[in-house]
This record gives sequence, C-alpha cells and structure tokens, in this order.
Amino acid sequence: MSEHDDAARRAVPEELERALAAEVSLRSRMRHVAVGLAGGCGAALITVLWVTEPHPLPARTQAAFAALIAVGLAWAAFAGWVLSRRRPLFARDRVLGARLALAVSVGTCAAGTALAATRGTTAEILATALTGGVLIAAAGLLLARAHARRRELLRLRDTLRDSAA
Amino acid sequence: MRQGDAVSEERHSGLLVVRCRLGERAAFRELVELWHDPLWRYVRGMVGSSHVADDLAQEAWVSVVRGLPRLHEPERFAPWLFTIARRTVTDHLRRIYGAPQTAEVETDDVTADDGFGDVLTALEIEAGLSALPPLEREVLILFHLEDLPLAGCAEVLGVPPGTVKSRLHRARRMLRDVLIEKGYEA
Repeated sequence: MSEHDDAARRAVPEELERALAAEVSLRSRMRHVAVGLAGGCGAALITVLWVTEPHPLPARTQAAFAALIAVGLAWAAFAGWVLSRRRPLFARDRVLGARLALAVSVGTCAAGTALAATRGTTAEILATALTGGVLIAAAGLLLARAHARRRELLRLRDTLRDSAA
Repeated sequence: MRQGDAVSEERHSGLLVVRCRLGERAAFRELVELWHDPLWRYVRGMVGSSHVADDLAQEAWVSVVRGLPRLHEPERFAPWLFTIARRTVTDHLRRIYGAPQTAEVETDDVTADDGFGDVLTALEIEAGLSALPPLEREVLILFHLEDLPLAGCAEVLGVPPGTVKSRLHRARRMLRDVLIEKGYEA
C-alpha cells in the first residue's frame, strides 16, 4: 500500500458488503447453536424415554425412536459442521453460545431426571442424572474457556490500542 | 512506504484483527475498507480482468472471515491475507486451464544486481505486468506494489526467501526487457 494510497482507493462494492454482513451475522451463528442444542438435547430426552420404558416396545415404536434420535443427532452434527467451517464463532459469540449451552444442558438434565424419576428404576435415575451432570460440566467448561479466551483478546486489544496511541 | 508507516499500519491491522476475533462486527467493515484495495489490485494483476477480480476478491474475503478465528498472530495478517488471495487465484487459474501452474527451475543464489529494483515505480510495473508469466508477475506485485517484505513474500508464495530473491531478480530482468520493448528507458 504505497503510492496507491495517494490515489483514490478502490471502494468496497456493495455486493461484497452485503455478502460479508451475512457472513459475520451473529443471528445466523446463534441459530445454528440453537439448532445443534435442540437436536442433541432432543435426542437425549428421547433416549431417556426409550430406556425408562417399563414394558418392551413394539418393533415399529423402537424404529421410530431410533429414527428420531438419529434425526436429532444429525441436526447436532450439521450445526457442528456449520459452526466449525462456515460460521466460526468469534470470542463474544462463543461466550453467548456457551451460556446458551449451559442453560439448555441444565434444562435437559432436569427434564431427563424428572422423566426417569417417574418411570424408571433407581439405577436409571442415577445414570440419567450422572449423564446430565457430565453434560452440564462440559457446558460449564466451554463457558469458562470462552470467558478466558475473550479476556485474553480484550487484554491484547488494549495493549495494541495503547501502543498505537 | 516508510518503515514507521509500515509498523503503524501493521499495528492498526493487528488491532482490527483482534477486534474482529473478539466479534466486533464494525471492525470487519474497517478491516475490509483498509485491505480491499490492495487485495483487489493483487488479484486484478494476476487475472487481468476487473470483473473476475471482483468475484475472486469477494471469494477471498469470505475465506478470510471464515478463517479469522484461527489466525493467532494478528501482526501476520498481511501475508496471511495474500496467501488466501493467492490460493483463490490459483484455484481460479486451475479451473480455467485445468492444470496447476508449474514453476520454472529456480536457484536461491542471486549474485548479480539487476540495478533495476530501486528505481521501479508502481506505474512502470503495472505497465509491464500483463506481459509477464504468473510467477514473476505475482512476486513483483507482492514486493513492489503491496510492499510486502521478502519474508512476507516468502510466506505468501510458500518458498524460501532466497527463492523469492531469485524470482524477483528474474522478474525484474523480464520486466526491464518488456519495458524497453515498450519504449520505456531502463
């Protein structure tokens, strides 16, 4: 960027601005986070329903449950792919996404444990609560890491601002 | 460009990159406004068409935005940006010609001074660029028009700095021949 800086700089085309606005959209990212969480947690709750069923289920019902679980997991996998390749989360988005994940994990754990408590054995209740606890811990860890990463970038931003001033 | 300006510009870009990685949406616009012109000129110089350059620059910017969260060294933004632009141009040329561009045999040793490097102006370079092969054209654009240092050019081109020197040396000689042919004085 040398002599050309003095000449008129090429303006950013409107089409490019629109494409980039869509590309960095926070709403699109949060939508995919929500889709992934809904798919994963839906699959988890259907699994709890299936496992705590007191009587053996007909083959068709089992197939329907399996299909619903597969659909939920597929949505979760699709959202994970989009968030890692197409719409990567920036530091603030990660914090928001992790908060959402923590809230949804707590809700799913509570709902799953309540379902198990009304339908299942003590072992099933314990297994559901334990699995839910692991999910909540994982979401909490994600949130802590997202906060740490954001703090680190904020410090770097302030350092660069000071040195530029 | 003066060294002080270059350092200040590097810091400014670094700050914008950090703000983008934080998720400040306004910073993306500033970053694109700052770097779109150099990126577009590089792509335009490589493909020779303004319309194609518009499309490829947009493609490159989308890749840049998607890759920003993985850029851990904000001060390396310029070479990283041109590496992405180069990959986009290479993919485009590959699509058009159906085969990758092949490099000529190169050496790392440059002993003779072509006596031309310090006196080239941007206008002279642009006047002769279209007559040069892609490899020589891009090293001249990166070094003389985009002011990337040798190490930055080496990073973008994926070759050692010595190879950049030899490629630059050959490109200047070829450019000199082209310009003399066009009536410029060396």
